[in-house]
Amino acid sequence: MSPRWARSKGTGGEEAGAKDADGVGSGDRLPIGGGSGGGDRLRAGRPTALRPRRLLARHPLARFLLRRTATAALLALGVTLVTFVLTNLVPGDPAAANLGQRAIGDPAIVAQFRHHYGLDKPLPVQYVTYLGNLLHGDLGESQQSHQSVLTDLSTAVPATLELAGAAIVISLIVGVAFGVVAALRRDRLTDQLLRVVSLLGVSVPTFWLALLAFYVFFYRLGWAPGSGRLDPGMTAPPHVTGLYTIDAALAGQWPVFWSAVGHLALPALVLTAYTVGLLTRFTRSAVLEVLNQDYVRAARAKGLPARTVLFQYILRAALVPVITVAGLAFGALLSGTVLVESIFAWPGLGAYAYRSATTLDLPAVMGVGLVVGLVYLTVNLAVDVLYGVIDPRVRVQ
Amino acid sequence: MPRFSAGSYPVALPLVAVAALALSACSGGTSASGSSAGKTLVVDTSFNLKTADPGREFEPTGQIVDKALYETLLSFKGSDVTKPVPGLASSYEQSKDGRTLTLHLRAGAKFADGSAVTADDVVFSLNRVIALKGNPSFLLDGVTVTKTDASTVTLTSKKANPALPFILPNPALGILSAKTVQAHGGSATATDAAEKYLNTTSAGSGPYTLTSFNTNTQVVLTKNPKYTGSDKPTYDKIVIRNVQAPTQKLNVQRGDSQIALDLTSDQVSGLGGGLKVDSGASSDVIFLLLNRNTKVSSTTANAKFAEAVRKGIDYKSLLSLAGTGSVQPAGIIPSTFLGALPASEAAGRDLAGAKAALKASGIAKPSVTLGYASDLTVDGLSLQTLAERVQAQLKEVGITVTLAPAPTTTELDNYRNGKEQLGLWYWGPDYPDPSDYLTFLPGDLVGLRAGWKAGADPTLTALGDKAATTIGDDTRKTLYEQIQTRMNASGPFIPLMQPSRNTVSAASVTGVAYNPVWTIDVAALGAK
Repeated sequence: MSPRWARSKGTGGEEAGAKDADGVGSGDRLPIGGGSGGGDRLRAGRPTALRPRRLLARHPLARFLLRRTATAALLALGVTLVTFVLTNLVPGDPAAANLGQRAIGDPAIVAQFRHHYGLDKPLPVQYVTYLGNLLHGDLGESQQSHQSVLTDLSTAVPATLELAGAAIVISLIVGVAFGVVAALRRDRLTDQLLRVVSLLGVSVPTFWLALLAFYVFFYRLGWAPGSGRLDPGMTAPPHVTGLYTIDAALAGQWPVFWSAVGHLALPALVLTAYTVGLLTRFTRSAVLEVLNQDYVRAARAKGLPARTVLFQYILRAALVPVITVAGLAFGALLSGTVLVESIFAWPGLGAYAYRSATTLDLPAVMGVGLVVGLVYLTVNLAVDVLYGVIDPRVRVQ
Repeated sequence: MPRFSAGSYPVALPLVAVAALALSACSGGTSASGSSAGKTLVVDTSFNLKTADPGREFEPTGQIVDKALYETLLSFKGSDVTKPVPGLASSYEQSKDGRTLTLHLRAGAKFADGSAVTADDVVFSLNRVIALKGNPSFLLDGVTVTKTDASTVTLTSKKANPALPFILPNPALGILSAKTVQAHGGSATATDAAEKYLNTTSAGSGPYTLTSFNTNTQVVLTKNPKYTGSDKPTYDKIVIRNVQAPTQKLNVQRGDSQIALDLTSDQVSGLGGGLKVDSGASSDVIFLLLNRNTKVSSTTANAKFAEAVRKGIDYKSLLSLAGTGSVQPAGIIPSTFLGALPASEAAGRDLAGAKAALKASGIAKPSVTLGYASDLTVDGLSLQTLAERVQAQLKEVGITVTLAPAPTTTELDNYRNGKEQLGLWYWGPDYPDPSDYLTFLPGDLVGLRAGWKAGADPTLTALGDKAATTIGDDTRKTLYEQIQTRMNASGPFIPLMQPSRNTVSAASVTGVAYNPVWTIDVAALGAK
């Protein structure tokens, strides 16, 4: 379970250290992954000025992050290739899917459509063009919305992040608490109850739960507001992060803030059902495992307060596998919000991806693929870093 | 392990979090009903929207939006699409040869920025639609737009064009302020770059102006105080939201929205609580095609086999799937259009006749595949359900139908390339005129998809040519009826039904009318 950067402490670090000792600075570039190249080009004229940078490069965590970022970039490239090939393998003609009945009958219109979206060029040329544009931050133009995919994503991604983020935060709090309680009350009534709840959470279909929740809390009880991210009469807060709750708070628009929180609550809670179930089960088994460890017994024997033992010893050790699961669950949340988004009319990535796929909007589909890929990469990276934060055994000094 | 009691900590924390969220949900709920009558109207619909630029839009939601933002030269009143009424043009004359249409502009019409609507704006706007080569460009195929004088515009067509007055009300032909559009990258050429601007700010003379536009979320319209039309809008603000049908129902029941546009017959049955349901026949005609191309299928190309299918289908049973409001059109032209065949001429089931025709075809144990888009619903009716019903009905005749469902994007290719043996599709009208259905004739767009090549039926082609160029509603009506009667007897298409269309509205909303071109005119809605 120990991440790669924990093991790589020796080799790469010494290499870089030796080079630094020789006075070979890293110049304007930070050596990525071992620092064998790049550094020779510029001889350090101002060793003192370079020191912080060199320190940064030498710090194992920084080196780890740099290497992981490089890997992530390569993987992102792989993601673009895979999504490009897959989207172009789909039988079907984007022109036919996007042009009207009549327009498709006019060869001039079809030709113009193909030319506009570069579909008249050979596939490899299309891919290279796509990559080239990508380097400039240009993800292409959506055939559906007629705007740049980046613009579309800049509203869809924060919407989903807000939803999935809220869901994962609630899930972590509730799931871990449930798991700990269940483990501590092993085989008692509380444990049995929590196990049933978690089993239900994992097995209930989310879209059904979403419909039910919407019906009960919005329609029957009137506790929750209707669909969308805000009340119909309200305008979105000025765009800073794209998360309405945060943007509204930053702008001091409190009615908008409360409306955003209100609209967020129900879909987020629905999404937590599965992740709470999952986290409860994982936390429970992780805590049970730790409970029998010698150091826990020793701590108890020393007469440490129960709360200290729970938080300082048990929970800390149990959290490593929990973080792994939470990371994976977050990824699953992102790609699994489609149905919930459709029921709550939440204008997120799921809704966008569905629409793009069904209309063969290739630039949009590739944009979504890239975003989801990047999120998974980022989450994995974050999880690896968190290991070190939580567990000193895998921490880099 | 009694010493490790959970204490109040871990349990209390999630409870507090949940309670906080629930509370905030309540507070959100109370402010949700900020749409008091006369102020804001909320319309829920399942978006099919790409752009608000009239020169480029041709999607149902785009039509709703542009109908409110832009005035067209001619219009329709309410649901009646059999008679064009004045719009920006107060009157028009059509020449005897049907090639020239002269329109006289209403005096005093103004754009939302206060500038006057001129003949130059009309010429610019219509030429722009033609030049952009977008989805609506075909509306003005072969039409030349010229300014006769400051208040007169002449449209000249290459061939006689009796349908033009029925085409002009299309919101895609809305009139824009040439000056404003040109100032923002617009031009009546293919290099036009005004779409971005028109998706943020409108440049029309319609009853509303565009406040915000998002193809995925919602469109907000604000009343245009400078609107010069006779019927002033009631609502200050209109919010059109993208919401799926099941949610639409709960929203409108709860009062979170005032209009729901996409509910199926199942969903509206038993709707009460002060809601009004307006159900009527949609103008979408669902039909079956039997390919005439022997290379695709020698079975479906057999005329007697086609007759067996036509007589073997139980149309009434199909209608029961679509619910209240659905009708069986007697021909390919929808029942509400000029030239529709009377209902008495609609086909009915004749099982014995079907079996006899099958025997006469000389094909023993016929087996065909039925291609359709499994993910496509027409006015809430799933083609999958319909295909299964057709399969069961034809089995009783002795015809084995193998279902070949595919996603729309894939199946569209098969359909458009004429590769389906049997196909199940629908045609939504581009404009409410029977000439739109001439595409079903041999050698034309849809005819070719059924393998019906040019020259396959010279009599029908001659009738079609005549109908396309004849002026005068009565003569046209007769011609289109003749065309459909002949198509029913020997053509490859079997019209099955027009599903129902339901508009659900709050009791406070008045003036709801379904229009086949723009679904609903939100500016014409009133309040009680």
